[in-house]
Amino acid sequence: MRRWLLIRLLWLVVTLLGITFVTFVVLDRAPVDRADLQLERAAVQEGGEWAHSRAHSLLRLRVQYGMVDPVTLEQRPLLQRYVAWLENAVQLRFAGPEGDHGALWRRLGQALPVTMWLGTLALLLSVVGGTALGAWLGLRAGRGGDRWASVLLLFGAGIPEFLLATLLTLGLAVLWLPILPASGLRSPGAEHWTLPWQVFDFAWHLVLPVTVMAIGPLVMVARFVRDSVATVMRAPFVQNLRALGVERDVVVWRALRHGCAPVATLAGSLLPMLVGGSIVVEQMFSLDGFGHLAYRAVMEQDQPMLMALVVIGSVVTLLALIASDLLHRAVDARVRLSP
Amino acid sequence: MSTLDGTPGTPSAASGREAAVGESPALMVRQTMADDAWWRCVSSWFLVVAMLAGLFAPVLANDVPLVAKVDGVWSFPAFADLVGEPPVGPHDLSWKQWWARLPVDGPDFAWMPPWPYGPDEVDPSRDRLGPCLAHPFGNDDTGRDVLARVVHGAAALVELVLPAVLLGMVVGTLLGAWAGYRRGLVEVLVQRTIELFLCFPTLLFLMFAAAFLGDGRIWLVLVMAAMFWTSFARIVRGAVLSLRERDYVLVARSLGVSEWRILTHHLLPQVKSQVGVTAAFCAAAAVVAESTLSFLGIGARESLASWGAMLRQGNQQVVLGHWHVWFFPAASIVVVVMACHVQAERLRRRASEAGV
Repeated sequence: MRRWLLIRLLWLVVTLLGITFVTFVVLDRAPVDRADLQLERAAVQEGGEWAHSRAHSLLRLRVQYGMVDPVTLEQRPLLQRYVAWLENAVQLRFAGPEGDHGALWRRLGQALPVTMWLGTLALLLSVVGGTALGAWLGLRAGRGGDRWASVLLLFGAGIPEFLLATLLTLGLAVLWLPILPASGLRSPGAEHWTLPWQVFDFAWHLVLPVTVMAIGPLVMVARFVRDSVATVMRAPFVQNLRALGVERDVVVWRALRHGCAPVATLAGSLLPMLVGGSIVVEQMFSLDGFGHLAYRAVMEQDQPMLMALVVIGSVVTLLALIASDLLHRAVDARVRLSP
Repeated sequence: MSTLDGTPGTPSAASGREAAVGESPALMVRQTMADDAWWRCVSSWFLVVAMLAGLFAPVLANDVPLVAKVDGVWSFPAFADLVGEPPVGPHDLSWKQWWARLPVDGPDFAWMPPWPYGPDEVDPSRDRLGPCLAHPFGNDDTGRDVLARVVHGAAALVELVLPAVLLGMVVGTLLGAWAGYRRGLVEVLVQRTIELFLCFPTLLFLMFAAAFLGDGRIWLVLVMAAMFWTSFARIVRGAVLSLRERDYVLVARSLGVSEWRILTHHLLPQVKSQVGVTAAFCAAAAVVAESTLSFLGIGARESLASWGAMLRQGNQQVVLGHWHVWFFPAASIVVVVMACHVQAERLRRRASEAGV
């Protein structure tokens, strides 16, 4: 057990190196680099004046960002830059050689609560709701409503997040039944309210984003559990219990325990889905979480921020994969842990 | 059963599925029609038609003629558009203006495409006009025909979705089969690589590729394929792991059949349907990813009509009551994605019937 955990953690480090290296290389492929883009933007803001000192400023910025060697003024090779980044990253200094580490961490820190609330609630809703729905459908597999349920689930799996967000926003926030807020996390002036009202206001604002984020994973879990439970209900041990005349409640409970165990493995792969979903959802409901940071970082070609986000995202995902393996082991004693 | 008409064992006496396999294509089609519900057939044909429409969009819906004779010179502007050359209008006019002024019995003539409106043809006079006979899908806020834009948006199916899924399928199937057949170090390496790719923040990569990496289309296909190959590799590896222990593989190996031939002739044909199911799911995911990107305003096809970009614009219009600007692109996305899912279900059902 301890050996297994050790091997997995070792692989985590190796995988992390792989991910960051590939990300670094891909980010480096951008035809216009960060310094270029920054000058471009400054030039647009300040008007002319920039053309003559442009080459000089470009070089200075590139030296500052560690793209160019400060002594020889030549482009530093990719691998050297990656190693330099890695050295900084190990010390949790993601902002680059001369960047403002405090500012980067502050931005991440401000975004963290939003993402945590969204992600945790969506994960909970999708796992609990999906398992319950799937188990309910699985026990009724093959009956009349089964086909309609599967068509509905198909629809839920097929509809893109941004479309669902638009539909729900239109329906419940703008046009037909305007009761839910369409954007943000707080009503204006909410800071003067009493605490219970503030909490309620916050929760009320979270309803739509969390629902939109959770629907896709929820449907995935539900379909998975439905098939699993339906299979278990036909398993010999269930028929045996029935034949022995065991009460129906007990039979169902035993079948569900077996049918729902594989959800543990699924929970790990839900996280990447939620990470992707948060970009869309935060953009649509104008929330300032990690997804919004990622969107802005891509738009502004903010490599240090992107790398920091990729590292955080992959560490969380990899840890979740390990945790879901452990959880599966805890739920189902027959599972062997293979590295 | 076979004793009813003729001697037992004659090929013509075989019934059901066996007859459908060996005999005429027409019978095969009838057999599948009978097996499947109508919407499964409809959805597969719909996908084919949608892809063809996307491929030939410039000659199906365009504001330039297919064939034109200007001052005795023949030209084929819509076909030039099809291969990517911007067609230049005659006499400093646009093709549409020239066509409108064309005398009926003059020497010149023009033959317009079946749907004579272009995706970027702006006409303020039909600004936000709702669906009517002349424009069944209505017009958007700058007076562009929504039907023409929807048809042109289907091009993404052929340009992005199909190549990405095919590339992912080939790479994933080969690597997965190799890993499952060879076991050992190869398997460990492939497994770790899959895990590595699973953790990639794909949407972030897609956004970056679409926003910055040149024309973006090639990069988008590559990133999507990198996202898809893992599913194929996992499925195929799992199947090959059990198939390789079968006796016929042992026989083939002891007869000296090469590894490549065992893989391609003995093992891969067995996992065909599972690969098909995965491909259908991946196609749905690709459609969603492409439309999400263009909805966020960073698609590679920003200048062209794309369903996601139309929705972005329709979002503002639908609040003002112009539902058609939003509804038709949204419906296209949902219908295409659903059709992919239905195909996956169909293939899965067929696979489980065949007992694979």
